Amino acid sequence: MIMHNDTVITVQHLSKTFKIPHEKISSVRGAFVSMFHGKRTYEEFQALDDVSFEVKRGEFFGIIGRNGSGKSTLLKILAGIYQADSGMVRIDGRISPFLELGIGFNPELSGRDNVYLNATVLGLAKRQIDGKFDDIVRFSGLERFIDQKLNRYSSGMQVRLAFSVAIHANRDILLMDEVLAVGDANFQKKCLEQFERYKSAGKTIILVSHDADIVRKYCDRALLLRNGRVMKLGAAEETLREYERENISDHTPSISA
Amino acid sequence: MEKAHENYRELIWVLAKTDFKLRYHGSVFGYLWALLKPLLTFAILNFVFSSLFEIRGIGGEHYALQLLVAIILFNFFSEGTSAGLNSLIAKSQLVTKIYVPRWTIILSATLNSAMIFCMNLLVIALFFAWKGFLPSVGAIVSFVFFALATYLLVIMFSFFAAPLYVKFRDLAMIWEVLLPLLFYATPVFYPLQLLPAAIQQTLLVNPMAFIVHFTKEALADNHYAEPWQYALFGAALVLGLLISMLAYRKWIPKVAENI
Repeated sequence: MIMHNDTVITVQHLSKTFKIPHEKISSVRGAFVSMFHGKRTYEEFQALDDVSFEVKRGEFFGIIGRNGSGKSTLLKILAGIYQADSGMVRIDGRISPFLELGIGFNPELSGRDNVYLNATVLGLAKRQIDGKFDDIVRFSGLERFIDQKLNRYSSGMQVRLAFSVAIHANRDILLMDEVLAVGDANFQKKCLEQFERYKSAGKTIILVSHDADIVRKYCDRALLLRNGRVMKLGAAEETLREYERENISDHTPSISA
Repeated sequence: MEKAHENYRELIWVLAKTDFKLRYHGSVFGYLWALLKPLLTFAILNFVFSSLFEIRGIGGEHYALQLLVAIILFNFFSEGTSAGLNSLIAKSQLVTKIYVPRWTIILSATLNSAMIFCMNLLVIALFFAWKGFLPSVGAIVSFVFFALATYLLVIMFSFFAAPLYVKFRDLAMIWEVLLPLLFYATPVFYPLQLLPAAIQQTLLVNPMAFIVHFTKEALADNHYAEPWQYALFGAALVLGLLISMLAYRKWIPKVAENI
């Protein structure tokens, strides 16, 4: 029974190709012109190529790779924002379907209204938000400012509020895209404590980053992506060693050139 | 896979409410603008067409009542379709940075217009009371039917056009030009009878013309469309809804990539 429930995310042979038209057609006139000029030419860009991996319950799983390696595409497929061309994704449990903090935040509204708006977008019911509201505000440390308009907040304060809502969204699986670099040292420490609490509560966290230090600090296992392919899948430390080797070997020619 | 989101109803409601709040945010009259807009349009058209052009003579004694109701119905249509068309682009963050079912975004935008329409009903009620005019039960039933039909038109347009607009940005400009055209092709400020008989029938192909014309007729003369006309109108609505749902399903999976 426990074994059966152990895997929360299964990804098998996942591929995704983007078709990038050479001349981007985004008007009716453009469509007519291209209709009469014969077939359109596409540039195919394979963002993900036969990616397979599994994530176990309670794991802190890192996805690492440089810009353009397919990390964000993979995350967007996991979140349900993009549809894969082929392959399979199976997810057990409720996944947090967002990639950015503070989605729906509006600068014209008060902090309070924004908490309700953002939390509703993340799938909480009003009754649930009522119950968690004080906790959310306390965690963000913005009690004094909560009834001020968001455009009076500094960007750091906005992020704190957004992060606080996100961790109270109460999902089994959290997707995190480069969010840990925010806030001051004190707030980062609070986030780390929160992550530890999540882990002991059996929640799963998937962290996407191009920063080896962040992955080293938090993750148990990691996946290294390069040009949409899985280069390495294993313990975080091993995967990171491969990632750093990749970075060095790519840099060497440019130095000698 | 479990549903990521089960509070669709609350989500739609909160999005619509926020839109409503932000729309009049910072203006001195605030929500009053929702009522002032149709009233001011009404005042202008009423002045132009009863004092300057004397269409009123042909329109009969209930011209002002009919005009107000017609303006509010058409306003519902034009605001609803414009908001629906823009919905996905205006909330692109909800499309590209999170997964929420896209229909909730489109629906909440149209709901915002429906809320304004409901507020406008108050204007109609007050105006009727002031004029001392009591519509017949048939006229009220007919009005409710046509108001729902207008909302259905808004929905089918929005579900068809919003995903398409993500790819073809010309659509906003096209719709901006088509809306005034539709306004003149709808008997809002003139009675349909003013036109040559042949054109009258053609004009009724425009669903907004059908809605506005028979709402006005019911109001003033207790005159209704023929059963076959209702049947045809209903069938057209169902067909339109079907087409727009199919188009939505075809275009929506790629919408996050194209936005």
